[in-house]
Amino acid sequence: MRARSFFTRTAALGLILAAFGTVSAQGLLDALNEVVEDPTLPVTATFKDTRIVNVQSNETPAEGVLHFVIAHRFGTLNSGAYELWGLDNAQMRMAFDYGITDRLAVGVARNTYQKTYEASIKARLLRQSNGPKAFPVSVTWYSVAMANGLKAPTDVTPYYFTHRLSYVNQAVIARKMSEDLSLALVPSFVHRNYVQTTEDAHDLWLVGVGGRYKLTQRLSINGEYHHYLTPQFEEGFSPSLSLGVDIETGGHVFQLHVTNARGMFERSFLAEPAGSWADGSLYFGFNLSRVFTIKS
Amino acid sequence: MKFFLCTLLLVSASFVNAQQYMTRSGQVHFFSETAMENIEAENAQMSGLLDASNGGFAFQVQMRAFHFEKALMEEHFNENYVESEKHPKATFQGAFKDWDNAWNDGEPHDVVATGSLDFHGVKQDRDIAGTLTWNGKGWDIETRFPVALEDHAIEVPAVVKDNIAHVIDVDVKATLDPR
Repeated sequence: MRARSFFTRTAALGLILAAFGTVSAQGLLDALNEVVEDPTLPVTATFKDTRIVNVQSNETPAEGVLHFVIAHRFGTLNSGAYELWGLDNAQMRMAFDYGITDRLAVGVARNTYQKTYEASIKARLLRQSNGPKAFPVSVTWYSVAMANGLKAPTDVTPYYFTHRLSYVNQAVIARKMSEDLSLALVPSFVHRNYVQTTEDAHDLWLVGVGGRYKLTQRLSINGEYHHYLTPQFEEGFSPSLSLGVDIETGGHVFQLHVTNARGMFERSFLAEPAGSWADGSLYFGFNLSRVFTIKS
Repeated sequence: MKFFLCTLLLVSASFVNAQQYMTRSGQVHFFSETAMENIEAENAQMSGLLDASNGGFAFQVQMRAFHFEKALMEEHFNENYVESEKHPKATFQGAFKDWDNAWNDGEPHDVVATGSLDFHGVKQDRDIAGTLTWNGKGWDIETRFPVALEDHAIEVPAVVKDNIAHVIDVDVKATLDPR
């Protein structure tokens, strides 16, 4: 009797263990997941392009990739039928950005607006990532030097080359909140060597917010707003606000937008936006980007 | 006698786990060939588990670990096609048909793996033919099989319809060592 009970119990235990063996054979995928740790992977494509509308996004061209952008801003939408609501009067920006590494890019650009040249450097300092060593945000640094190329004004003497220069440093703190929504906080510092009047600030601090929301796999709405932290004395400038859409078609990204900023370089759209949402002096425009893989 | 039987049962039950073979570095390569362009990607981080007591297996790959020639291809692959954030892994789970332990004779054997291929969140029952070779220590597995994008609800927009093959060829190579 005693022996039988022992037999029964052991047999039951054996059966249970055998059953476990079968379960583990069927649940091999679970067993695999227990031993193989998911890798930490950086979050990609927080934004479709290196810009949200005017301002930089956290993205940079990948290593060996040349990112070419042609951008236009037409005249004001409230300029009437004679000007075809601004389409007769376009400002152009042409830019080349090159990814030296996946985290460091350099760029040059030329704007018709104020005949401005740009030289820039952009670095991904931190990357948002998922996995065991997750990190919540991406932080990208952007510095640009701009040179006004207009003929020297006759009423300013002496007028040196340094009068033409201005600089912007900014940090783009971005987070891909979900697959559809990405947000960015962009503190900026603008320094202008030469300003129009003594009342104008040489140094300006701004804080910007930007974001994109994906409507479909290849279409998103984008927006950005920059708030002055330093009082801005120049008349006629209201804070920079831009709204637009990103359309992706294979190797191109089209960004179409409406903005109150006339120029497409940082000094202009951050410190001297020119138009205003209140009176409809807004500019329709687009950025068209194309990437070329130079080194693979 | 009874005690002996019980012990045998217990031992055989626990032995099931001892016959597992594993890899963390299996290679997956896929190829899309069209008149317009060829697209290929590599992943050397496939993990897999084989239960030699019954031929049961499970394999998985991280979609994000596929690397392409061009960075933009990789971004489009993850963002627009396989949606890696929603479906981070592809898995294949099942058993080898007519599993026979006598296959460990060092000769390559033509085998059929029957199981469920879970890719882009869509499961398909598949019979995948390949070769299995005992390398003296573990198992070498090699296979090439087609995956139709349509079967896994991967949409290709009209603009790039001619650039991406409707059926992608997948090559898999792995060596599974005793666990």
